[in-house]
Amino acid sequence: MAKPEELYDAILTGNAKMAEEAAQAALDANIDPNELLTKYMIPAMDEVGRRFECNEYFVPELLIAARAMKKALELLTPRLAAAGAKAAGRVVIGTVQGDLHDIGKNLVASMLEGGGFEVTDLGIDVPPERFVEAAREKGDGAIVAMSALLTTTMTMMKKVIQALEEAGLRSKVKVIVGGAPVTQQYAEQIGADGYSDNASGAVALARRLVGA
Amino acid sequence: MPIEGLSIIGESINDSVPSTHQMFEAGDWDGIMELARTQDAGGAAYIDVNVGMRTADFMAEAVRRIQQVTRKPLAIDTPDQDLARAGLEAYDPAKADGQPPILNSISPLRTRMFDLWAIQPFRPILLVSEHEVDGRAQPCRTPEETYRAAQCLLREALRRCPGLGNQDCIFDPGIAPIGSDVEGNLVRLIRAMEMIHNDPEFAGVHFSVGLSNFTVMLPSRRADGSPVKGPLESAFITKAKPLGLDMIVGSVKRRYELLPPEHPAMQCLEDCLQRPGFDALMRVRQFYTES
Repeated sequence: MAKPEELYDAILTGNAKMAEEAAQAALDANIDPNELLTKYMIPAMDEVGRRFECNEYFVPELLIAARAMKKALELLTPRLAAAGAKAAGRVVIGTVQGDLHDIGKNLVASMLEGGGFEVTDLGIDVPPERFVEAAREKGDGAIVAMSALLTTTMTMMKKVIQALEEAGLRSKVKVIVGGAPVTQQYAEQIGADGYSDNASGAVALARRLVGA
Repeated sequence: MPIEGLSIIGESINDSVPSTHQMFEAGDWDGIMELARTQDAGGAAYIDVNVGMRTADFMAEAVRRIQQVTRKPLAIDTPDQDLARAGLEAYDPAKADGQPPILNSISPLRTRMFDLWAIQPFRPILLVSEHEVDGRAQPCRTPEETYRAAQCLLREALRRCPGLGNQDCIFDPGIAPIGSDVEGNLVRLIRAMEMIHNDPEFAGVHFSVGLSNFTVMLPSRRADGSPVKGPLESAFITKAKPLGLDMIVGSVKRRYELLPPEHPAMQCLEDCLQRPGFDALMRVRQFYTES
């Protein structure tokens, strides 16, 4: 017998196997996949984020929960697509050109996926034109998320914003930034729409920006 | 009690440390100099100087001010060529009993920094966690890639810096946070250190890591109230010291120690090496959630 609340618990505790099994059981019992997503899975990830914010959870818990979420989501995705369900928003994410660091970027990407966003990960060392191309593909309302770990590469964030302006896309997308040397002040200085210093905060920021 | 044969590059004067950032922002040079004094007295062999994304003049000023209060050599810590130049130009070896500064760090993608040797001879920290593939920068994902990056960078350093020897070179194999290591970076690092350590071409070189990075993003206390970070960092030192680790960028306040094999942190580290990926992450979590 399907117990969708087990899906919530599995994600919250980062039990990937249990998450897969609970998702499959729920689908076999013809429970609406969108209901599973919105009533159990996303709230579970929201609770993970809340616990992270109040230092009950740490990065290992975030990653383990995100993996459980992903495993369950893989089972749901074909049915969600068939039902025409829409993601909370579309995000293109990458580490800027010249920078090879991906830990923070990967963490944010996982948490955004867990938060119901459709995420396109462009990887590391991403040139401005690739951000522009991906933003264009994702269309109006997409979020462009950039990460940098070096003081010498964070300046590329401004170049990406300039490239979006030159391509006529700046007003059509939202830009968020993060990474160790990046600050709120720097984000404002380069004209980004938002900044977060952690993955959980990035999800809340993305939701605010898309009005989700 | 310091660990014999392990030198500390004091990490406190770094813009990424919030309190230091505030001092930089406020132009609080007295505070910065006090940090230098404290680390000197605490046993640091070098004093790291990382001013973040500030000007070359600011870096030069920082070097001059810090050298007023310590005779320890400095580690000029920046990936920026102009800031590195300014730091080296400002550095006065006479104020450090003739000892050269460290330049942290030169990677296979920043070999232009070797040109700065002409300004001031330095001990380079050679960052070998990245390399070039088909003209594009990539992280080293395997021990072999890391080893080859080290080989190329050592040869380049010896070729471009007249008078530089193996004994002046410090390799940084790139330590990643164990709390997010789902790709087996710790295994890569340890195996690469073994390969470099066992190769006669590298005889006499040193190893250094930014040790605080290893435990960043973890809680400070285990379930029983005992510390998390110090023991895990000590476990890393215990594992890596026989492979040549003899320097760390770290805190003089932390009580690093060599741990016995049965210590929980040591067992955690060994388990992570045996089962990399998410299993390692679960093991780290077990370390701090279970007493």
